[in-house]
Amino acid sequence: MSIANKANRLTPYVFMAPAAIILTVALLYPICYMIYASFLDWSPSQRIGEADFVGLRNYANLLQDAAFRESFWVTIKFAAVVVTLEMIIGVGLALLLDRNIKGMSTLRTIFILPMMIAPIVVGLMWRYMYHPTVGIFNRTLKSWGFEGIPWLSDSNWSFVAVVMADVWQWTPFIFILSLAAMQSLPRSALEAAEIDGATEMQKIFFIKLPLMLPVLIVTLMLRLIDAFKVLEVIMVLTNGGPGLSTEIVALRIFRTAQEFQELGEAAAMSNTLLMVLMALTIGMFMYNKMQENRAVRMKAAASKGAV
Amino acid sequence: MMNIKTNFASAFAALFMSALAAVAGPYEEYEGTTLVVNFPSHPHYNAVMKVLPEFTKETGIRVEVDQLQYLKMREKQTLELTKNKGDYDLLAYVVFSKADYVYADQLENLARYFMNPKLSDPNYDAADLVEGYVGNIGVAGGDKGYLPGVTGSLYGLPFGSETSILGYRQDIFDKHGLDVPTNYEELLDVACKIPELEPGMGGLASRAASGHHASHAFLLHLAPLGGRIFDGNWNPIVNSAEGVAAAEALKTIVDCGTEGAATFGFAEAGASFLQGTSAMFLDSTVFAGQVNDPEKSKVVGKVAWAPHPFGKRASSQTGGFGIGIPKNAENKEAAFLLMQWLTSKKADKMIALAGGNPSRYSTHADVEVNAKFPHMETFGEALKNADPDWRPIIPVWGKINADLGTTLSKVLTEGADIQSSLDGVAERTKSIMEDAGYYTWQ
Repeated sequence: MSIANKANRLTPYVFMAPAAIILTVALLYPICYMIYASFLDWSPSQRIGEADFVGLRNYANLLQDAAFRESFWVTIKFAAVVVTLEMIIGVGLALLLDRNIKGMSTLRTIFILPMMIAPIVVGLMWRYMYHPTVGIFNRTLKSWGFEGIPWLSDSNWSFVAVVMADVWQWTPFIFILSLAAMQSLPRSALEAAEIDGATEMQKIFFIKLPLMLPVLIVTLMLRLIDAFKVLEVIMVLTNGGPGLSTEIVALRIFRTAQEFQELGEAAAMSNTLLMVLMALTIGMFMYNKMQENRAVRMKAAASKGAV
Repeated sequence: MMNIKTNFASAFAALFMSALAAVAGPYEEYEGTTLVVNFPSHPHYNAVMKVLPEFTKETGIRVEVDQLQYLKMREKQTLELTKNKGDYDLLAYVVFSKADYVYADQLENLARYFMNPKLSDPNYDAADLVEGYVGNIGVAGGDKGYLPGVTGSLYGLPFGSETSILGYRQDIFDKHGLDVPTNYEELLDVACKIPELEPGMGGLASRAASGHHASHAFLLHLAPLGGRIFDGNWNPIVNSAEGVAAAEALKTIVDCGTEGAATFGFAEAGASFLQGTSAMFLDSTVFAGQVNDPEKSKVVGKVAWAPHPFGKRASSQTGGFGIGIPKNAENKEAAFLLMQWLTSKKADKMIALAGGNPSRYSTHADVEVNAKFPHMETFGEALKNADPDWRPIIPVWGKINADLGTTLSKVLTEGADIQSSLDGVAERTKSIMEDAGYYTWQ
């Protein structure tokens, strides 16, 4: 009896073991390796055992490194601008298309196409479109009699250029999620509002958006985390230039490891980025938890009131 | 009876043949060996691939080639070189890697092979190898550590090396009666005249994109204009008057360039020249092979070549690839035989005829080669000024190079002040050098 009982109690752990082992090997080990590496002065020509231990020097260097600070600032600017634009356009599109249109499913597939294209291809595609003489943007501008824009050779325009490419690629992600959220909203609330004579605008701002908020917050967080890690499109489009105007941290990490051959410092940068993303993720979970607690409290209050 | 006779005869013949072979060739001992080599995909090495079967035919040594994109090579080689037993018997490396590989003791010193009478070919004629190339790519341990000098020794041989050369549109120059620039003043003057004379056409197609490209273009002008990155004591002097002049030259060239010139990399600058939107091109000789290829070029037959213009001194770049034997290689002696064969007079000429970059003076002067590629003689002249010290080859160079490249990009695109930008580079370089221990003895 007691043996069977014990076996019973062990069963879930046995089932979990393979996943736990894989997770440890595939996730924890590399992370620990990276954390350890960030304390080393390690060039790729050395084995990790031969590298010198330098304590926190890599992190101290990062703080003093103006180029790293600049790329950090570029990353934050990029993530903020990109995610704001994508949220506004994505949710706006979803609000516009939340109705019974014929061929909606085809339309939706077309809308999410950009998301499905490999980032390198997106980068190359936009790079040709931004080409100063043969690119479609400048050709169109010139045929209208305007001056061509130095899309990738001016530091302000090149930031605009990478933002445009990212918005084009990732707005559909927000669009599709908010459309799904919108279509699962309780119809009763909307009907009640209609009976009360609410206008379309009022319905959007006082009913639809507040009810969608939990989904929107999660979407925002997911995009924000992603925007911090974007690499390929920018690498292909501008490779960080001109100057450092589009050099986001992920690209800086890549170049530190690849060009400067400083694996330790690259690891320290990765850890810094990881910590920022961790803070964002924890923030997201906390918000979710808060929302759940509030819902539970409100439910309890409602049922109390009913009694 | 008949049968036995033939058997006898063939056995005797076989015996005789093998005895003959044993004294016959230096390659006999290695016949049947398979060498694994790592080459980049690059016009020179594509030409080498056409010539390699000849080596196998001549020596009986088979060669298996792992051809990689040249920027990917470094990563793969680093992995291979840190193993106890590597897969590569011979590898091609870019000149930057020399400092790292030699410093990490990963390349064989070639002295013991050239000393070995069984391996070393007495007719090799090392003096015929382009001196600037050997110094730049093969030798380490002399002046400043990375250059030839009294204490230097040989770790690799140049193979697929390149120097800088000025290509120009003969038709455009003739049309407007322009003289081919021989010094920097004339070069900058012509570069800015062309957009006025030929609307829509840029002067000189140059690299300028942020990072490595901008830095490369700057260094290309820095050495001829009399500047260096470091003085004799590793103090950065990039912000000297010569440095400022080089940055100004680059800015003038980009400003007088075709549209979008500020974002050109090597490929874009080359494409601009091939498409006929730039009248001049000043960069690596490796580019020359494409100019008369009608599939890639719209300027077939219109291009002539001249040496890199003179500034305060004649100094053209040195770069490209060399070949060396990894310390952890399995078949080092056979690898040396391959290396020696590939850089011999005979193979150098065969490779040049197949479209590669020769590394010998004699090949540049060869009648047959010049009949096929008339620019070779000019290139041979240019090579006499190949400067092995046009950029430092030290392990921390990658970082300084990136900083220099992004700073120059700001100068080119944002109009940052040249003197203060270069002062900034010098200051940051100083602290990088300090960290790397270059001032320990001061």
